[in-house]
Amino acid sequence: MDAALSALGSFLDPTMFIYLGIGVIAGLIVGVIPGLGGTAAVAILLPFIFVLDPHPAMALIIGAVAVVHHSDAIASILMGIPGSSSAAVLLLDGHEMAKQGKGAKALSLAFMSSMAGGLIGAIGLTVSIPLARPLVLLFGSPEIFMLTVLGISLTALLSKGNLLKGLIAGAFGVLLGQVGAAPASPDYRFNFGQLWLSNGIDLVAVALAIFGLAEVIHLVAAKTAVANVTTLGTGWLDGVKEFFPNFIHVLRGALIGMWAGVLPGVGATAGTWMAYGQAQATAKGESKKKFGKGDPRGVIAPESAANSVEAGDLIPTLLFGIPGGAPSALLLGALLIFGIEPGPRIITDHLDTIYVIIWSFAIASIVGSLLCFVIAKPLSKLSFVRFPLLAAGLIPILFMAGFQGSLQLQILPLMLVIGVVGWLMKVFDFPRAPFLIGFVLSIPLERYYYLTDNLYSFSEWALRPGVLIMAAILVLPLVLAGIRMIRARRRPQPVVDEIPEDDDEATSELGPRKWSIFVSGGFFVIFVFAFILAQQFALAARLLPNVITIIGALLSLASFIIEWRKFRKEGPASEESTHKWRHLLRITGMSTLWLLTFVVLTFVFGLIIATAIYIPLFLWIVAKPKRWWTLMTYPLVIIAALLLAQQFAGLTMPVGYINFGI
Amino acid sequence: MKKKHMRSAAIAAIGVVASLVLAGCSVPQQGGGGKAGGDTSADAKMPSQVTMVVPFAAGGGTDTWARFIAPYLQQTVEGSPKIVVENVEGGESITGANQFVTSGGTDGKQLLVTSGSTYLPALLNRKEVKYDFTKLIPLMVNGTGGAVYVSPKTGIKKASDLAGYDKTLVYGGISATGNDLVTLLAMDVLGIPIKATFGFEGRGPARLALERGEINLDYQTTSAYISQVEPMVEEGKATPLFSFGVPENGKIVRDPALPDLPTLEEVYQNINGSEPSGTAYDAYRAFLTAGYFYQKGLWANEGTPDSIVNAWRDAATTLSKDATFNEKAKDALGGYPLISGAEAKDDLKQAFSIKDEVRQYTLDLLKDKYDVTLETK
Repeated sequence: MDAALSALGSFLDPTMFIYLGIGVIAGLIVGVIPGLGGTAAVAILLPFIFVLDPHPAMALIIGAVAVVHHSDAIASILMGIPGSSSAAVLLLDGHEMAKQGKGAKALSLAFMSSMAGGLIGAIGLTVSIPLARPLVLLFGSPEIFMLTVLGISLTALLSKGNLLKGLIAGAFGVLLGQVGAAPASPDYRFNFGQLWLSNGIDLVAVALAIFGLAEVIHLVAAKTAVANVTTLGTGWLDGVKEFFPNFIHVLRGALIGMWAGVLPGVGATAGTWMAYGQAQATAKGESKKKFGKGDPRGVIAPESAANSVEAGDLIPTLLFGIPGGAPSALLLGALLIFGIEPGPRIITDHLDTIYVIIWSFAIASIVGSLLCFVIAKPLSKLSFVRFPLLAAGLIPILFMAGFQGSLQLQILPLMLVIGVVGWLMKVFDFPRAPFLIGFVLSIPLERYYYLTDNLYSFSEWALRPGVLIMAAILVLPLVLAGIRMIRARRRPQPVVDEIPEDDDEATSELGPRKWSIFVSGGFFVIFVFAFILAQQFALAARLLPNVITIIGALLSLASFIIEWRKFRKEGPASEESTHKWRHLLRITGMSTLWLLTFVVLTFVFGLIIATAIYIPLFLWIVAKPKRWWTLMTYPLVIIAALLLAQQFAGLTMPVGYINFGI
Repeated sequence: MKKKHMRSAAIAAIGVVASLVLAGCSVPQQGGGGKAGGDTSADAKMPSQVTMVVPFAAGGGTDTWARFIAPYLQQTVEGSPKIVVENVEGGESITGANQFVTSGGTDGKQLLVTSGSTYLPALLNRKEVKYDFTKLIPLMVNGTGGAVYVSPKTGIKKASDLAGYDKTLVYGGISATGNDLVTLLAMDVLGIPIKATFGFEGRGPARLALERGEINLDYQTTSAYISQVEPMVEEGKATPLFSFGVPENGKIVRDPALPDLPTLEEVYQNINGSEPSGTAYDAYRAFLTAGYFYQKGLWANEGTPDSIVNAWRDAATTLSKDATFNEKAKDALGGYPLISGAEAKDDLKQAFSIKDEVRQYTLDLLKDKYDVTLETK
């Protein structure tokens, strides 16, 4: 207790507070930019860490880490572009609210939840540090394996109405996650001889492409603004008011996030989706259907989870010296430099440092949320700007952010391909949430399956209480659904129409049935092709690809047949709808070509010069701004921002064939 | 009008696709401002800016090492260049090291930072590796140590209990071709059968698995051993077996950071009554030297002018005698001295000129006992 108070006292020292403030501001700025998150914040702060004293250095790092997830909500909610991979979950309800003109409410809900999540995380950290060790040890490989299975299945199961497509998307995500080094044997899988693929495809690049680029393709074609109303509608205070009655969701979300942070290999992205999943799964009756259509709970649960994940992540970092991500790895490095060894002795030897960390976390959460309210107001006007105008700047930023993970230029065309796949999935109603979760949990799933299988016999691990509980959570909804179905059969009811509900992602225009067949068929071909490729891997590297490609092939075959039957029943599409579809295809084709143009320009001139050429060209031909001088100022602002980021934030800009030295 | 539109779009599409296909064939090299060229004459001047290429992610062990040492080098090295650390991660550090040898240049504008996982694939002659440590020039190296321990549930209460131990130990590793290999080779020298499970995310999760009872044999590097395992030893939850030791005049002696732990050689002598020798021991020593004794290193490309190489080597010597540096470095470098490349180069050359039969022995061991087949050159 004394240590806690004296650590709080150290914040009376203005320099401590200034360092915390610098960290918070760096974290917020990085968070606002789509695709940049904790790792980029770390890169900015790195040079300063090694010249500071331990406590200011902790305040600086924690300040940034604690608020990255506050501001990444802004891009997700207002523009439908994921602010980070974990904030992609906000596209479901948060962005939907913005479309209905409730952007301000969604944002204030998100900031309130962020703050609460951070505070609960800080309290959780204080309480659990003495208790965490036995708890963490209780959670062995079998439990973590079951948790990954649960995570993937839950999101797929929650895509109501089109369970089949949800499962296909999940399987596809798992398959894409398999690219790169296998966890249990020194094999490189699906890398086509390319060494740059051996680390796998970067999560940020995938999340930005499947949601962000897909959105760009879609909206540039539509030429409208993000919001289809012209006022901010219900105000900021509404969000604050709505927040308190839903406090139970805040608490549950925060606890789930915290646990996701504590366990190795789960992380922020899976944590936020699981929090969303539980909020939806536990909603009662009719209110369940509101999820995906702008339900405030769909913002609250994941946002509070996103922030408590970072607090949870600190537990293994401090107690076991096992960092969960780049920010905590940096923290660990800094601690070591200052001679503070994480481990069981840290509680007795360096309690003051731990409390500085906890207080920094709590204070940063509050300050960060308040600052978010300030910056969000001007930024929220963005959702009323015509999208092509936004896209001119967004396209370079999205590709730049996706590039940071691998620093390989080949990631750019790959992002474009994934973006097109994302657009197809959007139009043909394949939910992308299970895809992203499958991608994130692919390697952990495989890793912990191997460890479980190698270290335990089946009867040993399958009967562990934790495993049984999670198996029950997984099976229970299926059993309940089965009982409901049997009951419904006994009492004959009018047959419910089987047309899938437009739930997870509201799409204004569905593609024609014929194309639907092609898309299902396309997935089938991919799975079969991957299965054939997988046969040359070593035994230990082959098992999961085999399982997932067989499951995926069967599911997509089923989907193919179902679509085929519907096509036979419906007969050929009407003249008018065919015409509409052709038109849509043509204009989305054009927007894809524009993206491709940017990629090619970057290959030739490097990103900075490409941006200088591209933005005026795009504005002139596509966006057609009202004032001519936008053609000059817009690119200048973006390029200045990129150059600043390169100089001071340690970001790397892609270099092309013709190198101008910038 | 519409048709015309379509046609121009189609032409544009073809053009763009064609250029992308071209682009796919050879991709502009990323990273590092300095391309090959520049001043490479024998008495060339130190460049004004030097990039330390770290083939690992920011925030990891090797990155921390580089970022810790960079400001000290900047002050010490002749010409005081501005030192920038750049991370080129991926491919277990092979990507960054390959890129360094193909485009890092010989004018000293780029230097490579290495770790055990950069060295071992080269020793194993893996197909992906384009670099050769017998040709690269070592500027300075810094070693580390480690210790192997078991869970007391194995019935092993002290190292000498290993004599006549006939049960199989369960080992948890990250990858058979990484630093785990040194421990596998050590147990092979002692003739203790082990069942190894690979796929752990790191040494930390493997240690947790030992605490949970999932595995019963583990190793940790010195700093983690002192902070994490020693408390376990005090509580009776871990039995230390041996440390990897440190080299001294061609012999291996006890690690000064772990003075109570015998070396593998001592344990072997104790059990078998003779000093270890033969191919198994040669293999252990080769991988141990690269993986531990010279684990972290700063290297220049072959052909870099002597004036620049010597400047860095002198800086290492100066730093290793600097009291304030050593005080600060105690925690960051784990108490192992910074060694100039001039001093280590012969040892390194010998370690990397691994005999074919020793390499084959290791590859066979991996294949026969751990079912791991590697594609070699």
